[in-house]
Amino acid sequence: MKKKESISNAGIYVILCVMSLIWLFPIVWLILQSFRETPQGAFTKNFLPLTYTTQNYTKLFTDTTLFNYPRWFLNTLVVAVASCIITTVLVLLTAYAFSRLRFAARRPMMNVILILGMFPGFMSMIAIYHILKAIGLIQSLFSLVLIYSGGAITKYYIAKGFFDTIPRSIDEAALIDGATKNEVFWKISLPLSKPIIIYTILESFIAPWVDFIVVSVIMKDNYNNYTIALGLYQMLTRENITKYFTQFCAGAVLIAIPITVLFIVMQKYYVGGVTAGGAKG
Amino acid sequence: MKRKLVMLLTAATMVVSLVACGGGAGGNAGGAASQAAGGASSQESGGAEAGGAEAGGDVITLKVWGPQEEQALLQEMTESFKAQYPDKTFEIELGVVSEADAVSRYSEDPAAAADVFAFANDQLRDLVNAGALYEVEREADLAYINSEINALAIDSATLDGAIWAYPETADNGYFMYYDSSVFTEADMESLDAMIAAADAAGKKIFMDVSNGWYIASFFIGNGCTLSLAEDGTQQCDFNNAAGLAAAQGIQAFVDSSVFVTGDDSVFTAGLQDGSIAAGVSGTWNAEAVQGALGDNYAATKLPTYTTGDGTQAQMASFGGTKLIGVNSQSAHPAEAMDLAMWLTNEENQIRRFEARQIGPANIKAADSDAVRANIALAALALQSQHAVSQKDVGGAYWTPAEAFGTTLEAHDTSKDLQTLLDEMVAQITSGQ
Amino acid sequence: MQKRAHTEGIGFLRYFVKGDLLTRLSFFLMGAGSLFRGQIVKGLLYLAIQAGYIYYMITFGAFYVIKLPTLGTVTQTKEFDPALGFSVIKPGDNSMLILLYGVMSLLLGIVVIVFYLMNIKTAYVNQVTLRAGGRLKSFRDDLKDLLDSRFHVTVLTLPVVLAAAFTVTPLIFMILMAFTNYNRDHQPPGNLFTWIGLQNFTQVLYGNPLWSNTLIRLFLWTIVWAFFATFLNYIFGIILALMINKKGIRIKKFWRTVFITTVAVPQFVSLMLISKFLHDQGALNTLLMNLGVIRQFIPFLSNGMIAKITVIVVNLWVGIPYTMLISSGVLMNIPEDLYEASRIDGAGTVAQFFNITMPYMLQVTTPYLITQFVANINNFNVIYLLTQGDPKSLNLYQAGETDLLVTWLYKLTVNEQNYSLASTIGIIIFVICAAVSLLTYNRSRAVQEEDQFQ
Repeated sequence: MKKKESISNAGIYVILCVMSLIWLFPIVWLILQSFRETPQGAFTKNFLPLTYTTQNYTKLFTDTTLFNYPRWFLNTLVVAVASCIITTVLVLLTAYAFSRLRFAARRPMMNVILILGMFPGFMSMIAIYHILKAIGLIQSLFSLVLIYSGGAITKYYIAKGFFDTIPRSIDEAALIDGATKNEVFWKISLPLSKPIIIYTILESFIAPWVDFIVVSVIMKDNYNNYTIALGLYQMLTRENITKYFTQFCAGAVLIAIPITVLFIVMQKYYVGGVTAGGAKG
Repeated sequence: MKRKLVMLLTAATMVVSLVACGGGAGGNAGGAASQAAGGASSQESGGAEAGGAEAGGDVITLKVWGPQEEQALLQEMTESFKAQYPDKTFEIELGVVSEADAVSRYSEDPAAAADVFAFANDQLRDLVNAGALYEVEREADLAYINSEINALAIDSATLDGAIWAYPETADNGYFMYYDSSVFTEADMESLDAMIAAADAAGKKIFMDVSNGWYIASFFIGNGCTLSLAEDGTQQCDFNNAAGLAAAQGIQAFVDSSVFVTGDDSVFTAGLQDGSIAAGVSGTWNAEAVQGALGDNYAATKLPTYTTGDGTQAQMASFGGTKLIGVNSQSAHPAEAMDLAMWLTNEENQIRRFEARQIGPANIKAADSDAVRANIALAALALQSQHAVSQKDVGGAYWTPAEAFGTTLEAHDTSKDLQTLLDEMVAQITSGQ
Repeated sequence: MQKRAHTEGIGFLRYFVKGDLLTRLSFFLMGAGSLFRGQIVKGLLYLAIQAGYIYYMITFGAFYVIKLPTLGTVTQTKEFDPALGFSVIKPGDNSMLILLYGVMSLLLGIVVIVFYLMNIKTAYVNQVTLRAGGRLKSFRDDLKDLLDSRFHVTVLTLPVVLAAAFTVTPLIFMILMAFTNYNRDHQPPGNLFTWIGLQNFTQVLYGNPLWSNTLIRLFLWTIVWAFFATFLNYIFGIILALMINKKGIRIKKFWRTVFITTVAVPQFVSLMLISKFLHDQGALNTLLMNLGVIRQFIPFLSNGMIAKITVIVVNLWVGIPYTMLISSGVLMNIPEDLYEASRIDGAGTVAQFFNITMPYMLQVTTPYLITQFVANINNFNVIYLLTQGDPKSLNLYQAGETDLLVTWLYKLTVNEQNYSLASTIGIIIFVICAAVSLLTYNRSRAVQEEDQFQ
């Protein structure tokens, strides 16, 4: 029995090693390319770079006439922080309302939100653009924050699942003691919800770093207000890829590092939140 | 009875904010209805200013769209433009939109599009149909265009007897770059000789066959035509006997061992690492090709190819230009026209050539030793005898032609060539 | 009691009949029934809404609402100006803005009507309360309610307002666009578009063979894609989680971190990179050729069938780590004695997987699976960034072999400016998603028990 066990374990180690290699392969390639000196295009005869350089990184910050990487980085940071705060508050409040509060419109609202999520999103981008334009907010970073947090209500599902797992009796005890529902939320439910708070923060913080479609519709030709994702995307267009592919790799590595670190550090909570919320066990 | 106060509050703020914006849009020109029709930001930025500019010399804001590679140049040119008009205060903003994307970016929001923008001349019909352009009507402008711009370029900016834009370049076509250490000049006469030479040297010949722009070269070279019917639908006879013979020629080329396809980045990368020795491309790649080939850098017209009937046909090409148009939604059309004129005048066409090796549409600018000595432009000029105008190619052509090329490149023989051609032509002419 | 039988609409007329002067005044002047009975702030707010909406309609909204039935009649015109030397263009109606702002104004109108009815009810209730000698709620009382018994109103108002502005209005606009002829030939600013009824739908479904063929082919591929993308990721993700969590496997944290790294690298980066990586002339083909494994490049992304397989496989790369993360926690919740019991019965690992693990997982994560399936039907990113829908095919209208309905829709708007056709397809996608969800969602136990959970 013991022997069989160790054989199967060995098999698993082999599979895990092979899978890790496959999964890390493109990432390693990305990092290698970001240090490649010449040629700068995407297609080369040599799999490994012939010569290495750090210029791709330094150029991102020094050569900013066409691609203003530092500025885009800051833009993204500002948008990410702002929309992360607003989204987190809204998502948690919405989820709490659907999980804990009972009111006539509850079920219908949840159904409507479910339906809203099924339309392909970007068709509405044209309309959103013109609505923002009517309010006079177009091509601004604030309009991005509004859009990213505007979808908050549709993302309540996992957080609601989490709140559902907190025993109701705790709230009821507090309510009997004379607390208002407002107080129950802030003083009782929230402190018990660390995993889901972190999960929501993480998700909403990352969204602006990876989205390029919304930004491209909203910002159009306003280069200065691009976010990092759209900026990097521009580096791979037909006209630019030959000159900027290696810089794209460098820029991608630079944004992947903080997100990866965030993920690894917050892993425990992230998993806790998504497990409890996404799949009620 | 519970009160719905917070909802009330937010609705009030919503109403107020909407009122504010409504008021803003309506307020500029007074009468809400008459002006709401335009309803867009050009009026927010423009409507009020247009009146003011004439009266008090206010700031005139203009936006210019040009390709990324030309931003620095445009910056220079707009600065010198400002210097020309010391009595007016201009604020000129540059936006990056490549000539190929002008139509789609314009249609996203015409009112927020640039006042002055560059576009490839095959988009002229779409832009004119959409009511996007100011016609060139001022006498001074017409006089300049008619006397100093070459006839082909004028024709490319003309639609239904009217000139719609200011010709900027006359080099939007393609020809053959090659490595003179691999091919002799005699090799360059026919594709067969080129293939043999490349094969002997173990190198490849590049052509983006899965692209309607390039694949037309074979069909038109063998006598097929693309035209537009009265009602604007695309006419195409690529599925006739000559078209089939051309398609067989394409297939032979694609199936040969030296053929390689892809986009510009594949071409330049292949030149750099020495795997590609010749390729069909245009002047925009001249610098990159020259850099990669060094002393062996050469270019000439496209070769002849062997059709399915066994005859030799000269590969044709599209001859296009780049034009600068004035947005019909511009708040300062007169100044925008001045700027378009400035960007396309002789001096600036020379500047553009010097900076980017771009072929001038201005006759005097093109008439210099430097232009004549330019290898890429000389090849383009040779090819221009076999070039056709791209004006009669509508939007319906590109995707089916690309699909046809893709099928050949994939060596997909599940359908015979005639069926593929019929399907392609059916799609192109369906009017959609 | 019998009065309850009245419908709400007639109910409000009843308020008029039975109301006193102030209540009746509220029918014309919002807030009158509150303002003049001492609820100053509330009354003023009602009044502000009425005034605001009227002002909004006069200065902005009415123009668009009036034009909504025709979507504009005035085309752009030119008028020669001898002083300038050219014809100045006078803007005409912009059908798109008429549609959008018309819809916006009407929706706003509905909100105002709701407040209007609320205002009447308030006025009547105030009237009754005062007659019965009661005390009206003060503004302070109302605020207090909002933090307690009406906390849901406080909490949901802002999300709802944002969703109304950025989700609902655009959606209605999009749906309506499917009933117009907004395409390349009817494009603002030079042209108007107008209502054409169901023509787009009949064209897509059977009128235009090329369109309907494309729709059917892409629909089938979309379903095949969504099926594999959802279930393969799901199963392999669970298997990966089981392997990592197996007793006796060491450095669990390391394995998990390796896979999480790929989740953390932004999708657009990894996908665009992989698309260059798998290109005919890309790094993988070059490597394999340099190693002598292959002589001709493998058309990973340029052959229709291979490209379809490639996108599904690449999607495994993207999706497995994520499923692994999610399922890890759930797996630990499976009672250990279930396994213990089956082990005594002599069940092997595989039997355990199918008899215990999968049934348990499926039961718990059905909602997640449905959400994933719908998300995959609309999975724009993976397809667009990897292949842009290519390779193109002559069997399809403006689409390629790997195009999903949603990427086709995107191309139709961006490349073809055929907004009406795109909207029509958007609605069709919605119907598919809704059907899938309705069929499965309400049968899932996890959803049915949502309410009795706690």
